[in-house]
Amino acid sequence: MYFAGVDIGSTMTKVVLTDTTDRILSVIKGPTGPEHRRLANEVMRMALEQAGVPLEEVAYIVATGYGRLNVPFADRQITELSCHARGIYSLFPNIRTAIDIGGQDAKCMKVNNGKLVDFVMNDKCAAGTGRFLEVIAATLGIKLEDLGALSLKSTKKASISNFCTIFAQQEIVARLSEGEKVEDIIAGIHDALASRVAALAQRLKIEPDVVLTGGVAKNSGMIKAMRDNLDCEILVPPDPLITGAMGAAILAKETHMKAAADGETLPTKPRRLEKATFFTEETN
Amino acid sequence: MPDKSTGLGRAQEIYLNRPQRAKELKAAGKKIIGYPCAYVPLEMLTALDLVPYRIYGSIKEPVTEADRALPTSFCPFIRSCLDGALKGKDDFVDGLVTAHSCDPQHRTAHVWESCVKYAYTHFIDMPGTVRADSLEYFKGQLGDFKKTLEAFTGKELSPDKLKAAVKSHNQQRALVRELYELTKPIPPLVSGTEILQVIKALMSLPVTEGNELLTQVISEVKSRQDGPAKKLARLLIWSSTSDDTDVMQVFESGANVVMDESCGGFRPFRAEVKLSDDPIDGLADYYLNEITCARTFRQATIGETRKDYAEDLQSRFGYFKGIVKDWKINGAILFLVRYCDPFAFEMPALKDYLERIGVPSTYVEYDYTIGALAPLRTRVEAFLETIS
Repeated sequence: MYFAGVDIGSTMTKVVLTDTTDRILSVIKGPTGPEHRRLANEVMRMALEQAGVPLEEVAYIVATGYGRLNVPFADRQITELSCHARGIYSLFPNIRTAIDIGGQDAKCMKVNNGKLVDFVMNDKCAAGTGRFLEVIAATLGIKLEDLGALSLKSTKKASISNFCTIFAQQEIVARLSEGEKVEDIIAGIHDALASRVAALAQRLKIEPDVVLTGGVAKNSGMIKAMRDNLDCEILVPPDPLITGAMGAAILAKETHMKAAADGETLPTKPRRLEKATFFTEETN
Repeated sequence: MPDKSTGLGRAQEIYLNRPQRAKELKAAGKKIIGYPCAYVPLEMLTALDLVPYRIYGSIKEPVTEADRALPTSFCPFIRSCLDGALKGKDDFVDGLVTAHSCDPQHRTAHVWESCVKYAYTHFIDMPGTVRADSLEYFKGQLGDFKKTLEAFTGKELSPDKLKAAVKSHNQQRALVRELYELTKPIPPLVSGTEILQVIKALMSLPVTEGNELLTQVISEVKSRQDGPAKKLARLLIWSSTSDDTDVMQVFESGANVVMDESCGGFRPFRAEVKLSDDPIDGLADYYLNEITCARTFRQATIGETRKDYAEDLQSRFGYFKGIVKDWKINGAILFLVRYCDPFAFEMPALKDYLERIGVPSTYVEYDYTIGALAPLRTRVEAFLETIS
């Protein structure tokens, strides 16, 4: 018996396929892009193929993330906050605080025994999100994945006072013209982003263990900056991108098992991989 | 399409086309007076046979015109109200009455008066605290309001007329409270969305017509079989203003909203105007002391160097205790309009107070646009996941 979690984030789509022991059978990650309504079936097909599992044998599917309503074959939708909490707990049983920095938002979650108990999220703005780093990398002509290693070379981080992505961009140009080193500027940028997220997280009482996830957790410079700003140890999962999808798969299993224990059969969606249709021209 | 033969259907119809009745009344010779805030004593308008018409913004209409007249980084609600006025949305309105309910309303009122020409405008200054001398000052303000109304209408605002109007508006308040009694059962007999439609309808009608509508709605709801289903939680919404059913439906997709403590909900109807010898005294007391908007600060003690935090909380939010118990509320959403300083300042203390009385809450900020609904949905659903 198999379970699936589909996490359609603003930037990346992630699918995790598991079995009854929460063992991961396959992981697929791909850019969400503008067509994410049509993408869910495609990533799911790839995940099934990679694991060699037929769709009919997937007992329960949970969709999460901003695109969670656009997964026609999902049996249940659960927010990414609860899914991250559950996914991270499966890796770090002592987790109390989780910070996820994704493409379009940053969220901080209080977790108790794998259950979400409280949360805060950033406001509707690129400041404090992965998009901020994308814009900055483009401004400096540096690959996003190189930001972390470069910033660790910094000996004196530049002072970047603006949280606003656009103003920070202007500030960088000003610093460059003053002759600041690129690595110092990136270190300054990481510090600006980390202080913004730390301020958000501190609205909740931060308790260890603290885990950082999301695409931004792949950036070693950001991990350091978060550690400096929160003044505590920060744990990072081996693949910080998939904790939401993993939590969704685990919650799928738990939902299914609980119903089975109660002698109930949960309704499921037809096991067909069709693209979601939202627009009238598609239904014609 | 709304079924106009029922009270709820008629309320929905008016909600969808609020100016309709006001335009008919204007064609019949009545004067329509717009107001954007619950701090305008409607009784004084009703007593002179003027029709009060609440002006709202719209989360569906991007603010464009108002940006020429106002700074952009402040209250998106009042910016949207002025934007509608500049676009001629409520061009049937003869006059505009505003109050110093907050700084953005105060400053916008003066820009508004200079940008849009009305036959009558009046601005009511309001103290920010509930001290005794505040009340005296506010009575003077209502005296000034009376004078300009009398000059505009050419009629005398006699105590008898005003007392009669107070009775009609108190009856409306009692009827709205009776309607809210019907959200007490599990599941509630009426949804938050339906109540919002009814209340926005009331704010588009003369008081007597509103009372007739309410009477019909209450009688229907009491005997209905098709009320809302029981959901995961019974929510309290606390907000400055939340006036669109699309927003309410985000709350109600996973929960029953049984108490909407906002300007388009319970707040303007919670208490009654006391009938005093000089009816202005009762009105001043009600509008300054009884409307529980965060724009007025209600500290427990005045003039002492040391204040007790718990007493202050009780003084500012004590009325929630009964609401929580009577409506069996098990979660609260503190729903803030971005840049709304009075509510943002009040929020942490209210969150703390609710926690002390055992009600989990979350706060969500929105920018009074429809674009805020997707992030709002995630936050509301996640909150419901934490409490269920």
